[in-house]
Order: sequence, then C-alpha cells, then structure tokens
Amino acid sequence: MRLKQTPPPPPMARINVTPIIDVALVLVIILLVTAPMMSMSDLPVDLPDAHARDIERHDFISLTVARDGRLAIDETAVAGIGDVPALLRERLAAGRDRDRLVVVRADASLPHRTVRRLLDAAREGGARNLGIATAQITDGRP
Amino acid sequence: MSLRFGRRESGEGPLSEVNTTPLIDVSLVLVVILLLATPLAFESSFGVHKGDPLAPPAVVAELPERVELAITGEHQVEVNGRAVAIGQLAGALGPLLRPGTTRAVAVACADDVSHGAFVRVLDIARQSGAQDINVAGN
Repeated sequence: MRLKQTPPPPPMARINVTPIIDVALVLVIILLVTAPMMSMSDLPVDLPDAHARDIERHDFISLTVARDGRLAIDETAVAGIGDVPALLRERLAAGRDRDRLVVVRADASLPHRTVRRLLDAAREGGARNLGIATAQITDGRP
Repeated sequence: MSLRFGRRESGEGPLSEVNTTPLIDVSLVLVVILLLATPLAFESSFGVHKGDPLAPPAVVAELPERVELAITGEHQVEVNGRAVAIGQLAGALGPLLRPGTTRAVAVACADDVSHGAFVRVLDIARQSGAQDINVAGN
C-alpha cells in the first residue's frame, strides 16, 4: 500500500502580538497605580530628611518651591506666591474632596519664612489639611 | 537562553522552544518603572496645623499641656522657654509628650532658620510622641 504524500502546509507569516499586549497591559496597570504620585512638579527640590513617617496618602495637591524660589502647584508652574491662594481654591473646588491634603514640598536650604508664607497662602486658599514633605530616612540613609 | 527539543538541525520535525521574549520585555519595563518610581516611594510628609496669622493669640490657659517649641537657630531650640541643645531635645520632650498628655506641640520658628532645621525639630518631636503639631502664625 502506498501512502499518499500530502504537501507541507504553506508557511504561516503571522505577527505575534502577545509580547506587545503583555507590555501594554503592564504599562497600563503601572500608570494607573503611579498616576497620583506623578502629579507633582519636577522642579529640583532637595527635601529635608526625616525618620518619622506620618501621612501615607498619595492623593494630595503638592505645592513645590525649589531652591531658586520657583513655585508650582502640582505640575503647573506658578508665577508668584500671591497667585497660590486663587489657584489652590480652584483645584480644591474642582476635586471631589474639599478636605484634600495639601503638601508643601520645600527645599531644605530655604529659610523658614518662605515655607511659612506658603503655608499661609495654602490656608488662605482653603486648605484644611496641610502637610510638609520629607525624604524618608531608611537604615540611616535617605 | 532557550530550551530546544526535537530535531532542528535537519530542518525537519516540530520545534518546541520556550519563547522568553515576552518575559524579558515585561521584566525590563518593570525595572525601568521601578527605577523611576523609587524616589517617590521614599517621600513622606508631616501633618501640621497652621494658625491664622490674623487671629488673636490663643489663651494659654485653654491649652495647659501644650508644649511650646521655639526654634531660635539652626541648632538652638527652646522647650517651654528653656534653652535645649538639639542633641538633648528628644530627652527633654520625652517626659512632656508621654502617653496620657495632650501630646500637642506648638512650634514657632525664626524666619532665617533653614527649612531643614525646622523639619529636623518636627521629626524629633514626632518621634518623641507628638501627635498634634501646630505651626505658629508668625
């Protein structure tokens, strides 16, 4: 008996999309998780070191003041400290939570008067919960 | 690295090869994301209360157990009016902020003192048991 030899199937040229879908899904999840943390200015700020860890919330409005005095609310640059109350009031009104935490991220080398003015401006803008950002010290090193 | 089974050299037969490309892709993305997000994870903050600078001063009798901290210099602190070296601050605050007290601290800081020194004092106060930190208006 003679077996009929079937021709081999034609080569299948198909793009394997599994890796790109894997990477895309991981990216989406990571971005969803880290999005609240990324909503802060990239101004150069050397935060003061601290051991104590007080506030763990990541959903906050950040007021950043860099060593050279440049200001930002979240990722938006602000011209001067006089503009902070109005802009902060807008942001607090836009959000669902009126008692949203407002964190002052100030460079460690700045004089305290700058931070005090910023805290006053935040309070004037309607902030009820205030925080001062620190760099966490772990095992003796920040 | 890959695992190969079957006959490959001859060009015949099935090729069973573990495709590690997706795993490597995901791993590299995770590494990059972690590198970017690590500094953010080490950022924390203190909760503080800020007094209204226009408000009248509080009556001291209403807050009998509140600890008054005055930061007069980079390394100079006064606890309830008594000068204390920064190195002895934790020892001075410990008995005042023990459990059972109000554990409230009012902090006044000189304008020229650096923010780093201000936070260092807040950190010591928090570690000593302070739960309610008020920053003086002026």
